[in-house]
Amino acid sequence: MKSLQNPPFPRRRAGLLGAGLLAGLALIGLGAPAQAQRAEPCIGASWELTGPLAHTGLQIRYAVETAIDEINAAGGVLGQRLRLVAYDDQGEPARAVDNARRIGERDNCIVMMGGFRTPNAIALREPLDEMGLPWMGVISAGTQVIEHPNGRNKWMFRVSMKDRWVAPFLVEAARARSRNGRIGLVFEGTGWGQGAVPDVTNAMRAAGLTLAGQETYNIADQDMSAQLIRLREANVDTIILYGVDREATNLVRSMDRLGYKPQIVSAWGVGVQFAQTAGPLAEGVIVAGTFTWMGQLSERAQGVLQRIQAKFPQVRGAQDLLLPSGTANAYDATYIIAETMKLAGRIDREAFRQALYRVNYQGIVTNYTPAFVANQERHDAIKPEAYRLLAFHNGQLVAIDQTPYAQPRR
Amino acid sequence: MEAILQYVLTGLSVGSVYAMIALGFYVMWSAAKAVNFTYGDVFMLGGVLTVVLVEMGLPLLLAGGGALAIAALAGAVIERVFVRPFNREANAIGWMLTTIAVGIMLESFTTITYGPLGRPLQTPFVEQPIRIGGSGIYPQELILPVALVIVTFALEGFYRRTVLGRAMRAVAFNRVAAGLVGIDADRITLLAFALAGAIGALAGFLIAPVIQASSSMGVVVGLKGFMVAIIAGIANARGVVIVGVVYGVMEKMIEGYLSTAARDAIGFTIMILALLIFPQGLFGRREVQKV
Repeated sequence: MKSLQNPPFPRRRAGLLGAGLLAGLALIGLGAPAQAQRAEPCIGASWELTGPLAHTGLQIRYAVETAIDEINAAGGVLGQRLRLVAYDDQGEPARAVDNARRIGERDNCIVMMGGFRTPNAIALREPLDEMGLPWMGVISAGTQVIEHPNGRNKWMFRVSMKDRWVAPFLVEAARARSRNGRIGLVFEGTGWGQGAVPDVTNAMRAAGLTLAGQETYNIADQDMSAQLIRLREANVDTIILYGVDREATNLVRSMDRLGYKPQIVSAWGVGVQFAQTAGPLAEGVIVAGTFTWMGQLSERAQGVLQRIQAKFPQVRGAQDLLLPSGTANAYDATYIIAETMKLAGRIDREAFRQALYRVNYQGIVTNYTPAFVANQERHDAIKPEAYRLLAFHNGQLVAIDQTPYAQPRR
Repeated sequence: MEAILQYVLTGLSVGSVYAMIALGFYVMWSAAKAVNFTYGDVFMLGGVLTVVLVEMGLPLLLAGGGALAIAALAGAVIERVFVRPFNREANAIGWMLTTIAVGIMLESFTTITYGPLGRPLQTPFVEQPIRIGGSGIYPQELILPVALVIVTFALEGFYRRTVLGRAMRAVAFNRVAAGLVGIDADRITLLAFALAGAIGALAGFLIAPVIQASSSMGVVVGLKGFMVAIIAGIANARGVVIVGVVYGVMEKMIEGYLSTAARDAIGFTIMILALLIFPQGLFGRREVQKV
């Protein structure tokens, strides 16, 4: 009775408490996208679409849009059409983080796809963890993109090369081609180039070798004579190169000036454009990669190339796929995403993440069985066994076994 | 010895580019007491436009001439639209902001339309280097110091022996007095910026076959050319030419004997020290004002 006699205050308090509880739930609800269990059937992408790296975003886009068209033509995913939501990050990490927030919280996509630059991918570690948003890299090869220093990478996956695995591959190729065992390293003065130094040094040590010379250059440098003179004086006959097309062209020009012709075994920063800018000087340069669209292609890869050309008329042929490995990785990654969504059975990020460890897919780059394993080292889908040596021959970047450079020069 | 010869040869080539850019800054400064900070991009136009015109089917020399003409026009437009309206007051610095902004726009526009990657510019002079022992140089690179000498003497002759050149000198000496004797100082300044545009584009046209023509090829070169002009004393043509060439050779010596990675840091430090010791520039004269 007493409680009935004095109901106003307790009732008001109960009402306030209820309202507070509702408001709290609403606030939790507002925060829900960060922890959302349901997502949209879209691939959110943060790529370099404008600025000096605009060509890299375009090369990925060719493959992803073509693959999505194929997937949707075959019925889509779980009865829904797969969509692409692409944002431009201009190669800037801060913009990539903003884009990740949009993709994860506003667009609520099931997965995010990364672009060219390793620093952009590294900047995404914490935001992706906070949002519980799976991320799929297709180019950025930095080891720490996948192998996080805390050992707890949960959301970042990659269908690309890994620098730590590339270094032994390059060292082995260089060792097999060096006549005198004098191998040098030339790298660009960027995070990627400098990051390769310990990887290559360790790989050389593991192979029982030491670097006979180590040289660097700045981006946009036009002449590398000084570095090459030192390498020549050190009797280096094979160079492991971490650089991109423009500086690689200037490097072979400097070699031509000096009449010094060591064998170059390059990481995959050197792409198809190198053949156009270096001309005959590109002949015989060896590049590590996962794929090339030039030379003899499988029937399936030929079909993919034709569909890319049909969708993007500016692609006149394989010579316009400037980052051949990146484009092929992106194509496979898109299919792996679609197959994983089907395997998960629902459009849910955690279910998607778990399914990534079970998905199998026969791609144009390699056979992914399974694509990923539940330890961070194997959040990389392309294992070193699938890495290939490519070589420039007659102005084309083709599989090395289709060139005269397949046999180590002894 | 081979190494020293190599550094001198490539240093001469690179230094000639810096000197030509610095010479362009000298021409602009003399006329307007202002410069075009898009000048690195005008240099870029020389290479990029030549490639575009060659790809359109023009012969190399005609394409190069076309690129120079367009760059000269660009220089004149930049002066008329982005420098003159912002350089009316004494000590005005608005033109710095406007020309830097135009440079960013020009480079972005080129990246969008031409693409971000370098493209080759084929000439017969980069097919085979001239080798001297273990050193070598492309004939194309030897053209650069020759062109620099020709441009320097031509400019000297133009300033001393033509009416237009004398008018430019008069404007440089005293803009107001030149106006009082009937010289259209604004028109002369416009022509000076056009002339500088052509000189910058000539450097871009000549070096592009060696380094590829790209939208970003002028960024560092423009900066170093300006630095050379300041260190030399921007009002001294011979001074900027000498310092430009010396800086190019010095860079190569630093790369060869000190550090390639720290080349710019060491080079800039030396230049800053030189400026501390010679505030008017190595070849500059202290300006005396009546008070």
